Amino acid sequence: MIEFNLNGKAVRIDAPDDTPLLWVIRDEFGLKGTKFGCGIAMCGACTVHLDGAAVRSCSMPISMAQGKNVSTIEGFEGKHPLQEAWIEEQVPQCGYCQSGQIMQAATLLEQNGSPTDEEISAHMSANICRCMAYPRIKKAIKSAAEKSNSAVNVYDPASSVEG
Amino acid sequence: MNLLNNFSKNKTEDSLQPSRRKFLIGAVNSALVMAFAPLTMSLTASASEVIKQNGFSPSIWFEINTLGEITVHVARCEMGQHVGTALAQIVAEELGANWDDIRVEHASSDPKWGFVMTGGSWSVFQMYKPLSQAGAAGRITLIEAGAKLLGVAPKSCDLKDSKVISGNKSVTFAEIIKQGKFDRTFTPEEMNKLPIKSPDKRHTIGFDRLALDVPPKTNGKAVYGIDVELEGMVYARPIIPPTRYGSKVLSVDDSNAKQIKGYLGYEILKDQSNWIEGWVSVIAESYHSAIKASDAIKVSYKSGDTTNVSEQDIIEEGRKLVNTKSAGVLFVNDGDIDKAFDSAASTLDATYITHTAMHFQMEPLNALAEFKDGVWHIHCGNQSHSLTLPAVAKALGVSDDSVIVHQYYLGGGFGRRAYGDYAIPAALTAKQYGKPVKLIFTRPDDAKFDQARSASVQKVSAAINDKNELVGYEHNISAGWPTLSMAPGFMPKGIDNTGNFDPFSTSGSDHWYTIANNRVRTINNPLAQKTFTPGWLRSVGPGWISFGAESFIDEVAHELKKDPVEMRLAMLDGKGKNSGHHPQSVHGAKRLKFVLENCKKAANWGQKLPKNEGLGIATSFGQEREMPTWIACAAHVAVNPTSGEITVKKIFMTIDCGTVVHPDSALAQIEGSILWGVSLALHEGTEVRDGNYVATNFHNYTPLRMNNMPEMDINFVESKEFPVGLGEPGVIAVAPAIANAVFNATGIRLRELPMKPEHIRQQSKQA
Repeated sequence: MIEFNLNGKAVRIDAPDDTPLLWVIRDEFGLKGTKFGCGIAMCGACTVHLDGAAVRSCSMPISMAQGKNVSTIEGFEGKHPLQEAWIEEQVPQCGYCQSGQIMQAATLLEQNGSPTDEEISAHMSANICRCMAYPRIKKAIKSAAEKSNSAVNVYDPASSVEG
Repeated sequence: MNLLNNFSKNKTEDSLQPSRRKFLIGAVNSALVMAFAPLTMSLTASASEVIKQNGFSPSIWFEINTLGEITVHVARCEMGQHVGTALAQIVAEELGANWDDIRVEHASSDPKWGFVMTGGSWSVFQMYKPLSQAGAAGRITLIEAGAKLLGVAPKSCDLKDSKVISGNKSVTFAEIIKQGKFDRTFTPEEMNKLPIKSPDKRHTIGFDRLALDVPPKTNGKAVYGIDVELEGMVYARPIIPPTRYGSKVLSVDDSNAKQIKGYLGYEILKDQSNWIEGWVSVIAESYHSAIKASDAIKVSYKSGDTTNVSEQDIIEEGRKLVNTKSAGVLFVNDGDIDKAFDSAASTLDATYITHTAMHFQMEPLNALAEFKDGVWHIHCGNQSHSLTLPAVAKALGVSDDSVIVHQYYLGGGFGRRAYGDYAIPAALTAKQYGKPVKLIFTRPDDAKFDQARSASVQKVSAAINDKNELVGYEHNISAGWPTLSMAPGFMPKGIDNTGNFDPFSTSGSDHWYTIANNRVRTINNPLAQKTFTPGWLRSVGPGWISFGAESFIDEVAHELKKDPVEMRLAMLDGKGKNSGHHPQSVHGAKRLKFVLENCKKAANWGQKLPKNEGLGIATSFGQEREMPTWIACAAHVAVNPTSGEITVKKIFMTIDCGTVVHPDSALAQIEGSILWGVSLALHEGTEVRDGNYVATNFHNYTPLRMNNMPEMDINFVESKEFPVGLGEPGVIAVAPAIANAVFNATGIRLRELPMKPEHIRQQSKQA
């Protein structure tokens, strides 16, 4: 029996240790937003967060999730600034890779609030978009970053104390 | 040649052409329903009665309910092009509807929709007129009913914001539907005469709307074929035999699989159509168990006869064919080509090769099959019910009317999901195992069963007269033909009546340059044909044929010491057969000339560039002469002389696709297809070895990623002309523009796709 947190909820699953986290998320817990693309961690369609880090769930045995926090696209509940930016910039075409793209991009913004074009490219080149919506992925990440930054400027209590 | 008509004319006429059907408008269950019915359908009853009695048998194109919600039924699939949005915009335009009131439903398989194929860049081109007319009929009906309610003359009314308006009076669609009575029939003749809104009055076409399919694709809620589950289903994975055709299973040893938890058994599939031969399906309680069990199972085969075929064999075969006089089928024959060559002052020829290229759509092939109450239900994303359904029925040995194909979002189509043969092993496993079966291909399985773009060989020859003019142009083309394998009934006859040919492996050679003597032969490569199933890959024939054609025009220009752009412009005179016709190709080659001049300016053609950098230019007219999308493309490249690496710095593209229905989606299609063009030119491609594709997954098939993305400068021509296709044409001119740019940067002429650093290194060494 393996126990972990899935989008903030404690779950347990009786599956062979080597079962990829991907299939457990999709077929046992019914969260279909995480996609199967290559099975060898080369395309990024299956990207989820494991304790906040972007991982490829197709190549992550379920045993490694023991006691950890796993979050998927559904965990964002449509409220992540990237999701809004994705709609504003009309990023998705076929859309199949986009959950993975958003999960991957979210870890970039966690570490780097205002990434440069090169930093975005470097971080996002781990994920394939076969429709090649790359220009819009890049634009959406920049716009989400800018919006988050301006939000921080407005609402940061520290700055208002100093100011 | 009109590919589109050619594709549809072989099916029952009445169900196909909206222009041949009556349009009915009636109230059903208090909704206003607008539907087409075959002319043969008896109309002794009122329109409402017919629609009601036949349930949903006539094809319902759109309906308006008492809340004022307008649902447009779209018999096209959504695979990234936001087609539902664009088609709904056409209806909304004529209806004067509020965009917020619009919903889209994607239709499942039903013969009433006629021949349905989401491909060929056809959707908007094909649906623009019938949807506009259907919307216009709705407009008239709503105005009549609204005028009555307002107590005014219909003439005084207009439609706006989902309301009928007359002066300062208005009534909403919702009110009209609640109170109105509708019973109208329009004959095909009446439909054809309906006035369509003039472009200057448009409020929806040509304006951006948020694409309706985007929000669910940002939160994980969009349902793709792979996401569908049914009660009581089991999982399956195929074991694919060593050759595409002719393999036979001799024995299966599953002793090692029996220890795997969840393993349920295997089936040797019996396909009554013989499309798949020698397949084993491994069944388990979970997909992971199915993968593990299939890896543990040993199958011994008698293989088909293609186990030794290599890429080089296929190319050598093609080379032989393009050099065989009178091989294949005659496609273009203008003037007297033999005379032109006999009397030429000089001649020039070149051979171009493109290697096997694959789909690698992100969602691996999959289908869920269930037999219920005498009907086979197939759940999968697919581009064509009309090709997929009969293939599944034939494999199962049942009639077409006992199969229903349910549609979902496609995790990429690009032509791989047009002939949905991946549903066959799912259906057969379900039939033999007796349970609903979800069969998923792993990525290597998907790659092995791909319908790759065939390797190709083209030979192009030019006859030059003593005035230094290009007077003869001969083009021989050879490849495996997708249409021959998957839809042979759709192959037209060549102009010399010597046989039929695949238009999707030929179109693109019938260019719009005026050259007095011009001959094109198109030749099937039988070795490619029997080794794998050649596939339709986004931009199909023009995607590789134009690499030859547009590289060669450049070669001729350099040979004649002419500027390659000026030489093209001079040949785009719009004379004779290149003058075009109403409505789709009106003004003909002159529109291509216009985009070329525009692109020349945008790219600052003739500018001085640093060493090892170059600009190259190429044109394309989209997927077919009968639906020309006029495009000029310039590539700015830098070549590393030591490593041979080609970097595409910027792509410039000018597009005239007539009326742009949904500008932002149009832009998205061009962005994506330019990058596809770069990817196919430099990053993709594989080879056939031992009868199979070498590429198996994303480690050895490497489409362009974000770090290889060039800058893009995209310009659409503002136009009110008839809308044409946009899903594929942006791919076509990119590869030849890059090749021409490499030549201008280095003096090295690359005649092979993909263009690789070693090609540059080899040629620099020789030089």
